[in-house]
Amino acid sequence: MKRTFAILFASTALVAAIGLPAWSAMHGSVQFEGSRDAALAASRDSGASPVLVGDHDDGDRRHGRRLRHGGDDDDHDEGDGEDDDESRPGNSSGPAPAGSVAPPQNGLFGSGAAPKVQVN
Amino acid sequence: MRTIFAALALTTALTLSGIAMAKPVTLTTTLKNYGGNGAYLAIYVTDPKGAYAGSLWMAGTKSKYYEHLSDWYRATGGNTAEINGITGASVGAGRQMEITLDLADALFDAGYILHIDAAVEDMRDSPNEIAVPLTAGGASQSVQGRRYIANFSYGM
Repeated sequence: MKRTFAILFASTALVAAIGLPAWSAMHGSVQFEGSRDAALAASRDSGASPVLVGDHDDGDRRHGRRLRHGGDDDDHDEGDGEDDDESRPGNSSGPAPAGSVAPPQNGLFGSGAAPKVQVN
Repeated sequence: MRTIFAALALTTALTLSGIAMAKPVTLTTTLKNYGGNGAYLAIYVTDPKGAYAGSLWMAGTKSKYYEHLSDWYRATGGNTAEINGITGASVGAGRQMEITLDLADALFDAGYILHIDAAVEDMRDSPNEIAVPLTAGGASQSVQGRRYIANFSYGM
């Protein structure tokens, strides 16, 4: 009798140990899908375009060599040559703007004089 | 004391020779009215062997779009250190950009070629839109672009 109880107890513990994490993982993913669907539905209702963080959609890049500003919060008007933050120094991902540092020492420039630019 | 004077004379001579071996050059680029947003332009030079020698100007500051300036990007890997201090805003359709740079004399009549890659939002990329040899005789001669640039010239 004791042996039967021991086997039953051990098998129950084993099932619980394996099954519970698996069940909770499945349940979690369903919740995620549900929240994603809810977010998509909400965005449809409000008329806003949804942004799915983590969806790596490189389709546009592969489909042609076109520069796209989409989803960038840029406020471009047609014919406008100025990007919103183009004159802002200290852009961590971009190059240093003209005048803020000397031109690169690539042998093309005769001196460290800052270039002059004018757009008409 | 003599050593100091000698060093001063040497550095002065080197500085003066450096100044004498360069001249201001104005690059004038006029864009077509292509009906789109501001153009990103990469202006760079290749040496007589066709290898990338360096950049002269980048119009457009957002580095995430530089891959669309494909020839420049291939040559530089998009390294923004190549364009630190020589970067400005993108250029609108129909606008004219004039850049004055102090360029080394050695670039002229020595087989160097100036290239311009262009890219516009939602329009086709245009690598090597302009390719013009840098020669004293070619100064002030207007060259037409392929897609976005109406004409380009350099003046000394």
